[in-house]
This record gives sequence, C-alpha cells and structure tokens, in this order.
Amino acid sequence: MGDEPTQNGKRFDPMEPWRGVRDIYMDAWAKTMVEMVNSDAYAQASGTMLDSYLTVSTPFREAIEKAMLKTLEQLAMPSRADIVSIAERMTNIEMRLDDMDAKLDNVLRLIAPPVASSRPEPARAPQQKKKAAKTQQAKSAKRGKK
Amino acid sequence: MAEAPVITDPFTEAASRLKTLNKVMTSKAAIAQTPKELVWTLNKAKLYRYIPVLPKEKRHPVPLLLVFALMNRPYILDLRPGHSFVEYMVNKGYDLYLLDWGAPGPEDKNLKFDDYTLEYMPRAVRKLKAMSGSEEFSLLGWCIGAILTTIYAALRGDDGLRNLILLTAPLDFSNKQGLTFARWVDERYFDVDKVLAAFGNMPGEMIDYGAKALKPVENYVGNYVKLWDNLDDPRMVEAWHAMNTWVTDNVPLAGGAFRQLIVELYRNDKLMRGELMIRGQRVDLSRIHANLLTVIAEGDHITPSCQSEPIMSKVSSKDKELFRIAGGHIGIMAGSGAAKYTWPHIDGWLVPRSK
Repeated sequence: MGDEPTQNGKRFDPMEPWRGVRDIYMDAWAKTMVEMVNSDAYAQASGTMLDSYLTVSTPFREAIEKAMLKTLEQLAMPSRADIVSIAERMTNIEMRLDDMDAKLDNVLRLIAPPVASSRPEPARAPQQKKKAAKTQQAKSAKRGKK
Repeated sequence: MAEAPVITDPFTEAASRLKTLNKVMTSKAAIAQTPKELVWTLNKAKLYRYIPVLPKEKRHPVPLLLVFALMNRPYILDLRPGHSFVEYMVNKGYDLYLLDWGAPGPEDKNLKFDDYTLEYMPRAVRKLKAMSGSEEFSLLGWCIGAILTTIYAALRGDDGLRNLILLTAPLDFSNKQGLTFARWVDERYFDVDKVLAAFGNMPGEMIDYGAKALKPVENYVGNYVKLWDNLDDPRMVEAWHAMNTWVTDNVPLAGGAFRQLIVELYRNDKLMRGELMIRGQRVDLSRIHANLLTVIAEGDHITPSCQSEPIMSKVSSKDKELFRIAGGHIGIMAGSGAAKYTWPHIDGWLVPRSK
C-alpha cells in the first residue's frame, strides 16, 4: 500500500516529515557553528590547543629523532637528513638539465628551417601523420621524377 | 514444494543502500580520465599536455595553462568524464596544459612563492611555448594558484602572457573581520614558526581541517546526510564519490610558501599594498597588462568576494572583466552548474582573445 503513488505521482515516504525537521535543525546548527568558528574565542581556543600539542609533543619527537639518528649511524644507514640533502641536490641537477634543455631548444630553433614547427602532434595525429607521410612520399616521388 | 520466501523490499533496499555506501566510502572514484601526456617535470612538478581532439586548423592558436592551488590535487579540473573542465576546454579546441605541483617532501620545506613563480612557472611556460609553437599563452589560476599566476603576471609581464583568468583569487587580505582564516592565523593565537619547526611542511590533514572547519556542520555531517538521502540516485552517488575522492586526497603545503601565505599575505596584506618582495623584486600589480577575467563565487566562504575584487582597480589591463557567479569556492568549477554557467563564460571570454 505504501508503495502506491500518491496523487502527485510520488510514493509516500513516512520519513519525509522527519527529514524536514532534521534539515531545519541542521540549518540552525550550521549557522550557530559558523558563528562560533568565526569568533576570536574559537581562534584563541584552537590556537591554544595546537600550541599545547606542539609543546608537549616536541620533546618526544626530538628524543625519537635523536634515537633514530644514532640507530641509523650504528647500522651504517643514511639518515633522513642525508636523504633530504640528496633530494635537494637532485633538484638542483634537474634545474641544470632544464637550463640545458632550454639552451638546446634555442639552438634547434636557430638551426631549424623557418617554416618548420616544433609542435608535435600526439595521439590524434595518426590520420594526420598518414597524410603527412603520403605528402612526403608524393614529394619524394616528384623529386625522383625530376 | 514450498516457494522460497520473497525478501521484503525494505530489506533489499537497505542492503543495496549499505552496499553503495560501503563502496563510496572505501574506494576511490575513477578521476582525471582525459587523455594527457607528460611533457616536463621538475622536482615534484609536472606539466601535462592534454591530447587535442580537434585538428590543428580548428584549434585556438594561443595555448592555455592551468595552475591550481599548491595544497590540493589539480584533478578537480578534470574530475570525471562528462563533468570535466579540462575535457570541455579540449573539446572546444584549446591547446591545454596543466601544471601539477605534486606533493612536497621534507626536502621541499623551504620552497617559497619565489621558487614557484620564478623557477618553476617560467620553465613550465618555456616548455609550453616550445611544445605549442606559440609565443603567447593564456594563464588560468585558481585559489592559491591565482596568487601564483598574479605574482607571475606582475613579475614576468613581458613573457607573452596574453590572457589572465583568476578564479576565486585570495589577493586582498585587508578585511580581517570578514576573513575567518585571518582570525585563526592571527599572530596572537597561531605560531607559524612553531608549527613549521614541528612539521617542516604544513600537513595536508591540517589544511583540510582548516578548510572544513569553516563550515563544520555542512562538511562533517551534512555532506554524509546528503549522500545517505541520495543513495538511490546513481548520478548523485557518482558525483559525490568523485568529489569525496578529491577532497580526501590532501597534499602538504611547502613550509616556506605556507609561512609567506600567513605572514606576508594574511597578516600583512603585502600583495595588495605593493610591498611583497619576490627575490628582491617588488610585486607591482600595475605592471599587469594582460587581458584579465576575474571570476568570483558569490557563496564562497574560503575566498570571499572582498579578496578578489580589488585587483580590478590595481592592474593596468585595458581589457578586464569581473564575473560573478552563484556557487561556492569549488562548486563554480566542479559543481552541477559549472558546465552551464562558468565554463561557457570562460570559453566565451577566451575565444576572441585566443586568436
């Protein structure tokens, strides 16, 4: 019975009135919370909580870091700082390579014929590549005839 | 032989709903599906070029580079097939590039706006020019990406930038009372150096909490209630799943950039006051001459309109437009109305300026 459509074509849903009340309550709750988080009191409270957490956790974190460092030294393994240092150096190398790539692009642009475009045509290109190949073949054939 | 009892509809329905709920809460949606190729990398940054679907003669000659925020994944621009800004623009004939900043590691904790705007972006632009064969390009920056593109446009105005599109750009921080974030990171309550000394980079989870806590009930309760109410609607579930996949995929923000954002922008509003220094150069917004489109989301609680409007009077661009649209910070580009309103407007603005 409950599945039969009502006059407006929708099925009767016994939960619908409850949802309406819920939505009204949530709207009111949301507005209250937005006002709360947008207050100096909230900013101060959240700042104090974060600060307390950092103050308490920092000595533990530092102790763990020291212990880990010594352990890694004993095991003759690289520390986090060593790996970070290598990663930084690799980024610098990448930048140098990129600079060289830029210079190479400039050289290629200077020596390339003025009409040629450096723009590659990926993926969609097969048809165009075929056309280009045909054109190239035709040109070669003409040259051959000449 | 007696017939097997028929399971009553409410149980079947409840089981089906729970199955759907379990799936969307425990799996990742298939996102960022538009075909692309990787054309450049530097450290964690990657430049992608989307594979064109139109022949070259039908494409716009001026390429478009998308720059998203540093602390979220950029695939919000290419969320899911049929609902992707990237797919839309590629179909409209743009030679489209996306700069993905990647996730900074501990070795990147000192990266600043200086590095992003004067090391990474110029190199990515160089590659874009080499790939596209065009000396001019358009730039679209969204959220923190809009800060980076604005700084870039002011410092590298002679780099061939023709069109600048700023989406929900947090540029003006003078209205402290109107900005909840500004209140939270006030120097009386928030010790940025202590946080960065502990974490190096600003953890993605903390940034995510900050964004969600602006509207806690909507984000922590309402979002899931909405899902529960619409579990029978596959389109709604698919959209929710994709968005949830993006929302929960957080990226840390490099410590140096986070410090600049808080100290130089949120606390001292240096960009708008013309006092922001990037590698010894003052960022002078009046040096921006590119055609400018600023998009403001009227319901944006992360970047209220007061943060984006003032740039219109600061730039020297002769061709500039302020476009307001109903919706939220993310919704205007990834919500259900994006394909009807925001994307066509951006395309309509860009077409005559991309010839």
